[in-house]
This record gives sequence, structure tokens and C-alpha cells, in this order.
Amino acid sequence: MSDTVSLISLFDESTETATAIDELHALGIPEDKITIMTGVPYPEHALGRQREWLTLPYIVLAGAIGGLLFGLFLAVITPHLYRLDVGGHPPASFPPAAIIIFVFTMMATIVSTFLGVLWEMNFPRFGTAPYHSLVTHGHLAVLVEFPAALEDKVRQVLEACHAHHIGEPERLAL
Amino acid sequence: MSEDQHLQENPPPEIGERLLLAERTDEEINQAVLQPMFRTGRGFWVIVTILGALVAWGLYAWGYLVYWGVGTTGKNRPVYWTLFITTFVFWVGISHAGTMISAVLRLLKADWRRPITRGAEAMTAFALMMAALYPLIHLGRVWKFYWMLPYPNNRFMWPNFQSPLMWDLVAIFTYLIGSLLYLYLALIPDMAMARDHTAGWRYRLYRLLGLGWRGTEGEWHKLHRALGIFSVAIIPIFLSVHSIVSWDFAVTIQPRWHSTIFAPYFVVGAIYSGLSALATILVIVRRGMRLQEFLRAEHFNALGKLVMVAGMVWTYFWFAGFLVEWYGNEPVTRELIREEISGNLAPLFYLQMSANLIPIGLLVFKKVRTTPALLLVATLLVNVGMYVERTLIVIGSLQRNDIPFNWGVYRPTWVEVSIVVMTFAGFALMYTLFSRVIPYVPVWEIKEGRLRYTLRRIGRLLVPTAAEID
Repeated sequence: MSDTVSLISLFDESTETATAIDELHALGIPEDKITIMTGVPYPEHALGRQREWLTLPYIVLAGAIGGLLFGLFLAVITPHLYRLDVGGHPPASFPPAAIIIFVFTMMATIVSTFLGVLWEMNFPRFGTAPYHSLVTHGHLAVLVEFPAALEDKVRQVLEACHAHHIGEPERLAL
Repeated sequence: MSEDQHLQENPPPEIGERLLLAERTDEEINQAVLQPMFRTGRGFWVIVTILGALVAWGLYAWGYLVYWGVGTTGKNRPVYWTLFITTFVFWVGISHAGTMISAVLRLLKADWRRPITRGAEAMTAFALMMAALYPLIHLGRVWKFYWMLPYPNNRFMWPNFQSPLMWDLVAIFTYLIGSLLYLYLALIPDMAMARDHTAGWRYRLYRLLGLGWRGTEGEWHKLHRALGIFSVAIIPIFLSVHSIVSWDFAVTIQPRWHSTIFAPYFVVGAIYSGLSALATILVIVRRGMRLQEFLRAEHFNALGKLVMVAGMVWTYFWFAGFLVEWYGNEPVTRELIREEISGNLAPLFYLQMSANLIPIGLLVFKKVRTTPALLLVATLLVNVGMYVERTLIVIGSLQRNDIPFNWGVYRPTWVEVSIVVMTFAGFALMYTLFSRVIPYVPVWEIKEGRLRYTLRRIGRLLVPTAAEID
């Protein structure tokens, strides 16, 4: 028999959810063993959770620098490799180079933002995962993993905070 | 009955619509958005068939052009840029409102943006797709397109990065990628919602597009951060795209094009026409999909005000450009102005001015801004005016140049008209199909908005009050 248990429960209201999370913490269940799923983005700290540190800004910055260097290569280096004199201007000059470098920097910024956030969220993830389809009906789902010895206490906490549909999480195809 | 109770039970109409939404459960909101997507009655299929036929005819015309060459168009010397480039500029302009509404208003935390962002973002993406066709069509020999791509080749040819046409290619491609990714990113939670409420092919599609979204706190946090970065990054891109389009013209020495004010003038004109097109589309979609509960008078009122302000700024820029050209009195410019005021171009000029200025006067009135039919008339008029404005800039200006024996006129052919109609029909067709496959109203943003709002009593009024949360 496994020594850890997972339970999922649904709440109708955010204050009761936050209270339940506080009490689960008080039972010694760490932050990373509690997952909250909602159909609406709640403001940070509304449910009493720690703010997650993100690497996304650094991924975006790296992407932007990469785009800038690629733009620089196209606008400044390649005109010397394939020389084409136009309008009495030098093969590489500031105004056109600025436009090309800007556009490629921005292109890389947005593409790296998109790929970065997918990477951070571990997407795409098409297998099965613990989930409850009533989440998109407005319920707040709390998925908690804890030592089997705590099961009664955890159930008491959840029931005291008016949770419903308390049970083992179903792994749904997502 | 106390006055308080009376107000609660008989709220003013604009508050009443908001109350109705506030009283709905999340499940009812899901269904209110999903159900119209499943309704595809006879009217829908009639529209799709007509639009499909127009697109098919346009494709035939394009095939005809490719087979027989650009001689089948009205292009000539000196009018080498014609309806294709005019319509290209028009579509790039239309694409601007999506970013304007979505990114700028998201950063400003303007709450009225919520129900209209997706429609605006989709408009941007589809308008850009239509715009992107024109450089290909204009090439004539479309199969040579890949020559513009920078890769080492045995022809020893390389794109000229000093050319505004090359800037155009990369800028529009960047804006198209950015707009599509921005549209999709904000769509992921609603794809998961649709996945949880559908079956069959829709379930498979939404599951694929939902990427496994569960709505965990971490996912929401990361999505918000990414949308914030997108909102900041895409604003300079959208400003640059139409600036670069304007430089296609302004870096030449063609009279009336060689102007330092062209970039901001084009950007403002794009915002004016784009916001107007968005208002037009929202009025049509609201009726077609019965989304009255989500697209309310308050949204049209705010959008109408934005259109009015954009129109005023466009007028200012137009006058600033016109004044300097008129005062300079350069011979060819003087001839072009004479053509517009009292010559062959006069009908187009007066149509441009009246179609752009009359709506500004109309939109001063709240009744016009909040009555969908009146708003539809005003904003359609703006886009007639803006299309004519682009025609005058591109085709009108090219008819005169510094070599008087090289002056000429342009008349469009059936090939050009068919292709232009094809892109309008194609845009409408893509938008119609999109509205039946993708939730038109961003459900999670609407629900997020409901979290922020309460009704507060101030004196005799019930006032919607937003909480200051990110």
C-alpha cells in the first residue's frame, strides 16, 4: 500500500479555499504538494500561496539578444558578402540597418516569449493528469498529496471549509 | 419600497445588462459563449457559400493573371502601383486596431476591452493574411517569391536590406507571427474550457489547441506574465509596420510621397480605419451570434469615442501635410492638388474628406456611439473614406510626376477588381468560420472582470466599481 495519498476537492468560494490551504499547511503539508486549479485567474496571493519564480524574462532577454545579433549579421555583414551599391549609399549604413535589427530583435522577442512560456508550463502535455472538469464551471479545485497517516485530518479540514466532491483524483485525458 | 431597493430591482439599462452577466453562473457564461458557435443555420451557410464563390472567382482571376502576366492589370507607366498596393495598405491599416485594443488597453487595465479583445486580435491576424497576399499577387511571377529570402544560392543573389520593400517583408511577417501567437496564447484557457464541454471533432480540436491546460495557479501566473511581455513587445512592432509601409512611399522622390510626416500619418490613419472596422465587425457579430449580453452599449460607447479621437488626430495630420505641400507650391504637387480640388480626382477627394470627417461629427453624439445601427453607418463610412484616401495616395499621386510627358491615367481591369473583392470576401469568410469554431468572447477574461467588479451606491446612483488588483 502506498504511503502517500492524493485527494481532490472542489470549493465554491475563494476565501474558504484560502482557509483550507492555510490549514493544510498547518498540518505540515508543504506548498509543492498542493495544487490549485481554477477557471479564472485569481490575483497573486489571493489564495495565500507563494509567488513562483519565473525564468521567462531571462528566456525573452536571451531571445532578444539572439534576434539582435541575427539582424546585425543580415544588415551589416551580409551586404559586404553580396555587395550591391544603391543610391550612392554605402553597402551597410545606419538607418536601414537600424530597421532590420529592430524588426529581427522584436521577432525573436515574441517568438522566445511564446516558446519560453510553453517551456515553463511544460506544454504541450497531452497525456492524462489529475483534473476535474467542473473547474471550468467556476469551482476551485484543490489537489493535495500527503502521508496516508494524515488522511482523516485532511478530510476534516476540507469538509470544515465546505469542500465537496472530495475523493481520489481522476486522471483525465487533457 | 425604499429607493435603494427600487434601484436594485429597476437598474438603469446599462447597469441592468451588467447585472444580468454578474448574476449568471460560470457554467451559464460558458454556454452563452459556446452555444452560438454551434448554431449554423441556413443564413450562415448562404453567407459562407456566397463568400466562398467570391473567393473562388478571385482565385480564378489570380490564376488568369499568373498565366497571362501583369499585362492583364491596368498597371502602366507611370502608374506602376495600383489597386493591389492600395488594398495592401488598406489591409495593413485594418490590422492595427487589434493590437491597439488588446495590447494597449491591457496595459492600461481598461476593463471595457475584455469582451472585444479576441475579435480584435482575429481581425488583425486575418487582415494581415490578406495584406500578405498582395506583394505575391503584385509580383506577377509569384513562383519567384523565394528570391526574396536570404539564403546562399548559386545565382549569387541576396536580398537588398537597404530596400523598404525588404523591410516590409520582414516587418509584416514579424507582425503576423506576433499577432497569431498573441491571439493563440490568450486563447489557451478557453480552448480548455471548450474541451471540457464538447465532444467529437470539436473535442479533438480543442484538446489539441488546449495543450493540456488545467488552470493551475502556476499556469495562470505564467500566462499573465507572457501576455504582459507580449503587450509591451507588440506595440512598437505595430507602430513600426505601418511606418515601414509608409516609407515604401516616402523614401522615393515622387511628389506627395516624399514627406517626413508620412509615418505618423499612416499610423494614425491605420488606427482610425482599424478601430472603425472593428466597430463595424462587432455590430455585425453581435447581431449574428446574439451576443448582446457581452457586447453592450458601454463597449460601443468607449470604442466610438476612440474612433472619434483617432479621426480628429487623422484630420490634424492630414491638414499638417496638406498645408506644407500647398504652401511649397512645387509645380507637380500644385498640379496634383489642383487635380484633387477641381480636376479628375475631385470626386474621390471630396468623397475621402466627407467620409472621414462626417463620422467624427456624428460620433460626438452618445446616441450614435451607443446605437449599433448608427455606429455601423458611421464606421462603414470611415472605411470607405480611408480606402479612397489610400487610392488617392497610391494611384492618384503616381499619375503625375516630374516628367510631364510621362503623365498618365489608370483604369482597373476586371482581374484587379476580382482579386480585391476576393480578399474582402476571404477576410469575411475566415472571420465567419472563426466565429463558429473559436469562442468569440474571451470567457476567462470576462470571468476575471467579474471578480474585479462590484456595484457601489453613491448617492442616488449604483456605480460599477473595479478593485485595484493585477
